[in-house]
Amino acid sequence: MLHTHTHRRDWLRLASAGVLGGSMCRWFPAFAEEAAADPKRKRACILLWMSGGPSQIDTFDPKPGHENGGEFEAIDTSVPGIQVCEHLPGVAKQMERMAIIRSMSTKEGDHTRATYLAHTGYLPQGPIRYPTLGSLFSKELGSLDADLPNFVSVAPNRFISPGAFGPGFLGPQYAPLVVGDPGVTPNPQMAEQTNLSVRNIELPEGVDFSQSDARLELLDVLETGFQESRRAMPVESHRTAYEKAVKMMRSSAVGAFKFEDEAPELRDAYGRNPFGDACLLARRLVERGVPFIEVSLNGVQGNAGIGWDTHNDNFNQVQQLCGVLDPAWSTLLEDLDGRGMLDSTLVVWMGEFGRTPGIVSDRTGRDHFPAAWSTVLCGGGIQGGQVIGASSEDGMTIVDRPVSMPDFLATLCLALGLDPQKQNMSNVGRPIRLADPEASPITEIIG
Amino acid sequence: MATRNWWCTAIIALILSGAVPKCTAAQSTENSSSVDTIAAEIDRLIAKKWEADGNEPAGLSSDEEFIRRVFLDITGRIPPASDVRDFRDDASPDKRRRLVERLLASPTYIVHYTNLWRAAMLPEADADQQIRFFLPGFEAWLRSRLAENRNFAEIAREVLTLPVDAQDVQGFNQPETATPVAFYRAKEGKPENLAAATSRIFLGVRIECAQCHDHPFDDWKQDEFWGYAAFFAGVRPATAGMPDGPAPPPNNRSLMVPGTDRVVSARFLGGDEAEFSRTSSPRDVLADWFVSQENPFFARAAVNRIWAHHFGVGLVDPLDDFSTLNPPSHPELLDVLASAFVENGYDFKFMIRAITASRTYQLTSELTHESQDTPRSFARMPVRAMTPEQIFDSLAQAVGYRQPFNPEEALNFNNDPARQEFLETFRNEADSPTERASTILQALQLMNGEFIAGATDLTDSQTLAAVIDAPFLDTNEKVEALFLATLARGPSPVEAEKFGTYVASGGPTQDEQNALSDVFWALLNSSEFLMNH
Repeated sequence: MLHTHTHRRDWLRLASAGVLGGSMCRWFPAFAEEAAADPKRKRACILLWMSGGPSQIDTFDPKPGHENGGEFEAIDTSVPGIQVCEHLPGVAKQMERMAIIRSMSTKEGDHTRATYLAHTGYLPQGPIRYPTLGSLFSKELGSLDADLPNFVSVAPNRFISPGAFGPGFLGPQYAPLVVGDPGVTPNPQMAEQTNLSVRNIELPEGVDFSQSDARLELLDVLETGFQESRRAMPVESHRTAYEKAVKMMRSSAVGAFKFEDEAPELRDAYGRNPFGDACLLARRLVERGVPFIEVSLNGVQGNAGIGWDTHNDNFNQVQQLCGVLDPAWSTLLEDLDGRGMLDSTLVVWMGEFGRTPGIVSDRTGRDHFPAAWSTVLCGGGIQGGQVIGASSEDGMTIVDRPVSMPDFLATLCLALGLDPQKQNMSNVGRPIRLADPEASPITEIIG
Repeated sequence: MATRNWWCTAIIALILSGAVPKCTAAQSTENSSSVDTIAAEIDRLIAKKWEADGNEPAGLSSDEEFIRRVFLDITGRIPPASDVRDFRDDASPDKRRRLVERLLASPTYIVHYTNLWRAAMLPEADADQQIRFFLPGFEAWLRSRLAENRNFAEIAREVLTLPVDAQDVQGFNQPETATPVAFYRAKEGKPENLAAATSRIFLGVRIECAQCHDHPFDDWKQDEFWGYAAFFAGVRPATAGMPDGPAPPPNNRSLMVPGTDRVVSARFLGGDEAEFSRTSSPRDVLADWFVSQENPFFARAAVNRIWAHHFGVGLVDPLDDFSTLNPPSHPELLDVLASAFVENGYDFKFMIRAITASRTYQLTSELTHESQDTPRSFARMPVRAMTPEQIFDSLAQAVGYRQPFNPEEALNFNNDPARQEFLETFRNEADSPTERASTILQALQLMNGEFIAGATDLTDSQTLAAVIDAPFLDTNEKVEALFLATLARGPSPVEAEKFGTYVASGGPTQDEQNALSDVFWALLNSSEFLMNH
């Protein structure tokens, strides 16, 4: 009698198709036909999120010789004519895999709104709840029957902009599996060791799989009755979460979260710190078919959650951050390449905005600056070794090819082989495209 | 039969003792005529919109549904099984209202409302360890105010006008002193942060977007934001190191708009520049304006929040986003509630009595017609996710876990590691209660985590052991006891049959006791247990 809501009803279909006899209950349906329907391996995306807004001049758009250039030297890269900051030596050696966009131009200088814009491509407006990039892309790239969640987010600092990190109108089955500590609570003891494992993934002591199956069957009786009489989104979401959790518990793919089989030298190369470990985890997840991983660099020890927000002591802070970023990122690219996965994996480096070219002398800081800043794309789908756009000599304005956030996200779509104009139905009953229809992607960057 | 029922009630009461004191006589009925009037107005205005929109309302909730809901809404936890039995057996016509009175008089009401208002006023404590350090003092303050049943205007005034010096917003102070100073500390004593927070919490207006520029899609202008912020210009902001430069004079009332050379003076939100004597404190003047006739926001924002606590969705929703682009679903009702709130001295308990007495609140959450699907029609009770505190406190109630603190004591309140772990996992900043997304980690914690493992372990568990050991209970009655302890209802015929057969068969372990533990596990993991409905 109650048959509307066709999307997000997948579990209903699964339930009704559930196996009748035997001990197989409806919590672990067979999805084989769906998996078979997708023979070609799809692309993956790793988003390296720089929380707080990194300084473009002190990273990828150096201004040597200009007073706005600051304390750092520019160094040559593996591509003649392209220079980056001296504290990114590892990344500099891989410039042929990377395209720098030096002409990002947005209008949002507030962390919350800018983080939302960069994660969804839209500004928060009215009741529409836009999905975060990971949810949006993993829905396209992943399959619902995967053993691991299609979207894993390591240490997101959601507090800065809660709406920017969720699945929005796509619904809870596209929500990320979150692991790791965002580091917003400076706690030296916890920062010493990285914990990227999935908590409570093992059955409790004394309970084996047959008892676990029996319990899930009892739960299914309760859920079916409640769902029939009390249809509602939180009830549905509960079911989705349990289905995914059960599937993950029973999968060997969960070994992705344990690093025992990695060579110590490789772990050293990534850097044995939360961000380095998270980048290694990202590779291990891509290897196991997870299509979207977001890794946040929220700061080095001691700064609370938005480490790139260098209003004070900019140069020391940026140098420390680069000391963590550079080895992890460059090792990630080499590692992916060594395993033949870089061609199908897009790696994105971005924050929510850039920082003022002018240095605030009394605190040696740089403030929020959305007018002219940089992002980097590398790996699969990208024509590396090039710079897109340019900022003026003093870094204050864009002089060539301004790129808006919608333009940027439409570019990501193309690099991942997705149609930016593809529509999803939103929570307000209006279809929303992957990227704003006004967006013009940077087609010359697509490889 | 009668003996057996008594036995069961007694034993469940023994092991599941709630902190709610018994009190059979109706209390505090001085506002009852007014409560009735407002409850009737709620029903009239909600029904008016059903008619206009073609909604078919659901029927009245069962007693089991009502007692569970009202326990969760007022005390933040599910009822003990014994209360469910007593309430079901009580034949008096005013039992729902008497229950509300009893709950409003319980210490758990104070604890629950402290949690709700703490989350609204000091959300920073969820993520920031340094702010969390000040929670005991802040919660002690809030709890004492609620215990004294101070009205909301007094609470807001105390926050707005609190004397603060540099030490308060910056340095170390006694964390256990009952004071709302953590509010200033969390906002770093900055006028712009205090402006954004007070406007959002007490006025339901998100003006912070106008901080850097005119609001892109609303009427707020940048100078209006800074004009409002100027009421806090006398508070000394926290700085990175030691405070530098002289403190601003406490009565300072003007600010320079950053990035401009414009100086703005204290100005009421949506109103004119405030005229007041040089010797008056700007924050006192602002507090006066909050509760004045000219302020269109304060009472509306407060009643909207209380409404949202009872329905999971506000009349204006999101509940702190009053804006021309986000109109209320029932504007007339919002006005009626706001006036009643003012007339009754900003008394939370009055609003709770009126809302819970309405038929609208007492509707079932069962979906009986398609047109009830939109939560904002209130044509059935929306199914809502619980707060993290509600989840843990309900689990504690269901499994017979004794939380290692006294709810009436200020200190050591939130320090139970088991509780902390749940609060951490179930925290959700993003979704409204009617749209809450569950996560894989939440599911894993309930399925495999230590707490539930203990509660369903035959040697460690409290509730389970008591049920297993209860003499005179047959298998079906044991199953029923577990249902009552978790879902506040007995099993449906289908459930009774399936669960009864399962337990009798002993499940895969061929052991009736293990099978009862499996039943308890399933109940604790069910969405019906984890939702307020």
